Amino acid sequence: MSIFKSIKWRLQIWYGLILVAVLAALGITAYQMERQELLGRIDNELQHRIGAIAEALHRHGPGPDHPPFGHPPPDQMPDDFHPPDQHEPDGFHLPPQDTLLFDTSDPHHFYFVIYGRDGKLLAQSTNAVNFRPQTLDSRKFLEDQNQPPNLSQDKPSATEAVSPSDERLVVRSLPSGEDIWVGCSIVPELQKLKVITLTLTGVSFVILLFGLAGGWWISSRAIRPVENISAAALKISAGDLSQRINTAETESELGKLATVLNATFARLESAFAQQKQFASDAAHELRTPVSVILTQTQTALGRERQASEYKQTVEACQRAAQRMKKLIGALLELARLDAGQEQMKRLRFDFSKTITDCVELVQPLAEQSGVKILMELSPIEITGDPERFGLVVTNLLTNAIQYNHDGGEVKVATKIENDMAVLVVKDTGQGIQAEDLPRVFERFYRADKSRSSGNAGLGLAISKAIIVAHGGSIDVASEENIGTTFTVRLPA
Amino acid sequence: MRILIVEDEPDLLAGLAQALREEGYAVDTANNGEDGLYKAENYNYDAIVLDVMMPKLDGWGVLTQLRKTKKTPVLMLTARDQSRDRVRGLDTGADDYVVKPFDLPELFARLRALIRRGANKTTNVIQIGEVKIDTAARNVLLKDKPVELTAREYSLVEFLGLHRGEVVTRTQLYEHLFDESDDTFSNLLDVHVSNVRKKLGAEFVVTRRGHGYCIE
Repeated sequence: MSIFKSIKWRLQIWYGLILVAVLAALGITAYQMERQELLGRIDNELQHRIGAIAEALHRHGPGPDHPPFGHPPPDQMPDDFHPPDQHEPDGFHLPPQDTLLFDTSDPHHFYFVIYGRDGKLLAQSTNAVNFRPQTLDSRKFLEDQNQPPNLSQDKPSATEAVSPSDERLVVRSLPSGEDIWVGCSIVPELQKLKVITLTLTGVSFVILLFGLAGGWWISSRAIRPVENISAAALKISAGDLSQRINTAETESELGKLATVLNATFARLESAFAQQKQFASDAAHELRTPVSVILTQTQTALGRERQASEYKQTVEACQRAAQRMKKLIGALLELARLDAGQEQMKRLRFDFSKTITDCVELVQPLAEQSGVKILMELSPIEITGDPERFGLVVTNLLTNAIQYNHDGGEVKVATKIENDMAVLVVKDTGQGIQAEDLPRVFERFYRADKSRSSGNAGLGLAISKAIIVAHGGSIDVASEENIGTTFTVRLPA
Repeated sequence: MRILIVEDEPDLLAGLAQALREEGYAVDTANNGEDGLYKAENYNYDAIVLDVMMPKLDGWGVLTQLRKTKKTPVLMLTARDQSRDRVRGLDTGADDYVVKPFDLPELFARLRALIRRGANKTTNVIQIGEVKIDTAARNVLLKDKPVELTAREYSLVEFLGLHRGEVVTRTQLYEHLFDESDDTFSNLLDVHVSNVRKKLGAEFVVTRRGHGYCIE
């Protein structure tokens, strides 16, 4: 089975993808929040410093004519503060309270760059080594973006410099024309973010692995009943109809399916067993007449014989063939009834008329056996196949006569009862033993195990099949040595 | 050899009886289990052919009852061909099992084998001096030349040959060579014995006065 066709694999891939998406979203969100938090903190620091510088500049006085940047007295000047040689029209130095804000010995610490209104570099801290010229282009851009004439402290024009990526820069244009840039390296923060990224990725992978493993376990468990079912079905299709699905393991929704399937398998098995039994019984019934023919003919052909002996042989063979013919007819009738009722006629007819005809038909047999047939018939209209009902009645009458005793009676009566047409055939015969009673309608079942009666044991089975096909029912009641009563009920 | 056939299908019973009689057996018949059991218990048959499905008492019942008193070889004849039926038949005490429909030659061969085993013989040929009895071909050779015997004479020679060294009583011979339809009070047996002596030599069959006959 391809893994793309396997339900288990498709499930696995599906929730694997969902899990990856969820973890990625969570991870990215967490990363972004962390990053914003870190950068926000730096930005606050930068704002704080830019404010300090702006205030220092302001105190120096506005305007280029009164340059605010005078060299601080040498004792006041921080020793790490070296104004650029070329861009140092005046000396500018941080007020002492602000020097702590800029650790100029550390290239990664905060630095500042100040431009005059004409774009001239006024001052910069010594550690502003990472301040690249391209940042100036950004400055231009920034100025366009932030052009309010009066920039106040609480409305700083600040943004993030795009490049270099490991720097954070804030610019403020003063109303007096100076641009103050304050920046710092964010390498430690980036480092921190990297660690966070790695941690998030690692944790995500572990969760993903656990998720997939758990999913695999659950889907395997969920699929196992299906595997049980298919294994059982496979064995059944291979011919072992006694196989059943182990329902103890399938308590889920599939358990119900398994129970239903088991019931189906059981019905299949019994149907097959019945079919097999039927075939075997049919073969069995044919064995005796075939044995007769074989024995008779092989004996007859053993030597030259007189015509009368041959005649005897042929007669015996004929009897055997007649029996087989009768049996084959009955088997065909049963096969037709099993196949369905498409060939069944649906005529409206008087059942009592059919019964009268049948009684006439069996009268010679009754007389021969010394049995009297009594009729209590009233006209009853029923729907169905008159010929087949004739067969039913003849069967019942023949049985009633054959299993009767000399001088016995057979009573045939019809009546309407609860909107059903009822036929009762009652004899005064030997009766059927209680143990045989439930089985008399089974195919090939004979209460007397011999074949001396010449019946194969199909008559009642056929009768029942015909009646059931017409929506009716047949019941039997019997008392030994008193008689048997068959009751047929049909929709009137 | 005397055989009992118990079978309820009249045409099959008649055909089998006729075929076996023509094979030279003395044949008794019964068309139901009760009669069959009665006969089987009261006569010493060389073999019984027993049908399973019968009225009154079926083959199993007959066999179970019979095995309480007799060891007569029984060949079950049945339409049931499933293994478990055969196992049941053999376990109940049947000696062989033939499924309908059967071929007569096979049935005969199985009967011969049953009778042979009943007499503790392993082959179909019994050699007695210069006389050779072939029970399969049902003929007798004297100095390798076939001897013409009637069916009854052959049966006599075969029975005595199978019981070589034993004294066989006249009653035994009557029981095994004649069936229920023969008149067993005639002196037919003496006629057959004298005919056999004429054909195979006077010394072949020895008379034990007051006991019976014997082949030594």
